[in-house]
Amino acid sequence: MTIRILLVDDHPIVRQGLRTLLEGRPGWEVVGEASDGLEALDKAASLNPDVMVLDVTMPRMNGLEACRLIRKRTPGLEILFVTQHDSPQMMREAMEAGGRGYVVKSNAARDLLAAVEAVSQHRVFTALTRNVSPVEAR
Amino acid sequence: MKLRILLADDHEIIRRGLCALLQKHEGWEVCGEASDGREAVEKAKQLNPDVVIVDVGMPHLNGLDTTRQLLHHDPNFKVIVLTITDSDQVIREALDAGARGFVLKSDAARDLVAAVEALQSKRMFFTPRVNDLVLAGFLEKGHVPSRNEPPSLPTLTAREREVTQLLAEGKSSKEVASLLNLSTKTVETHRSNIMRKLSLHSIRDLVVYAIKNNIIQLEMPPHIKSAGESTIA
Repeated sequence: MTIRILLVDDHPIVRQGLRTLLEGRPGWEVVGEASDGLEALDKAASLNPDVMVLDVTMPRMNGLEACRLIRKRTPGLEILFVTQHDSPQMMREAMEAGGRGYVVKSNAARDLLAAVEAVSQHRVFTALTRNVSPVEAR
Repeated sequence: MKLRILLADDHEIIRRGLCALLQKHEGWEVCGEASDGREAVEKAKQLNPDVVIVDVGMPHLNGLDTTRQLLHHDPNFKVIVLTITDSDQVIREALDAGARGFVLKSDAARDLVAAVEALQSKRMFFTPRVNDLVLAGFLEKGHVPSRNEPPSLPTLTAREREVTQLLAEGKSSKEVASLLNLSTKTVETHRSNIMRKLSLHSIRDLVVYAIKNNIIQLEMPPHIKSAGESTIA
């Protein structure tokens, strides 16, 4: 299955790590990168991705604000948060903002591919470190 | 002969990014990876890399203490410290620990290759902010901060710093004992000595001390971070 992915993180080295992981999956394409929420809004509109992998803490506009706006402007685009915040409270806030998935950065290598696959099919995927295994729900 | 690099960062996604960046460079290879400071020290001893790149904010043993332990084991190790912050205190501690390179994670894609190249040529690499701080220290004091200067904080031994970090991370004395291959009684003795030396009275005080002195690092939600400031989040 082809999935077009937009990567949004303010650290180029994190985007490089995510890209390396995602491009290993046949058919998946990283169509663009953005380094903050404002740039993410622009690229979401111009590149028409299926999934946005979105950091929370970024300069200019954080991921939560960006997510709320994208939900209104591009409802078909699924958003997967990938963040360092390993907290149920932050996860709840991210999902309320309109995220379809939530993965902790320290576990991204383990959870990212399954999470992208799930959200691309409009399924919820959340995983905190304290969960032994990821939670996936329809 | 290839330049062999050991990478230590607790986030696999960061290690992947760093690997991708470094392995594009002809003549370099990432000979090993570690996900915390203790593993980095063990792997460095086994693999004897030419350059070790260590993240500051790692669990079990932070990057600054990792640097100290590496150079205590072999003063010829060349260490680059990767950090999310270039606060004066982290810079001073990195220099004091003996790091020969200092790179901000946010600038790693731009600076890390230059830093490794510098060390390869037997030079050092620091961000402009480190250069400013060293120069300011030179102008104010008439000399560059030296590794031999007495520290302003009470001196903890390397073992006490390890114990401090593990206790501040929330581990019990029993868990610390298991991680460090010590008896619980020995850990309790270290804990008493640490509290006495630092004039601390509770684990809460210890956690505050560990945060203030960059032994552990805090995650902050975006709501209380200022624009433009970001951890590797």
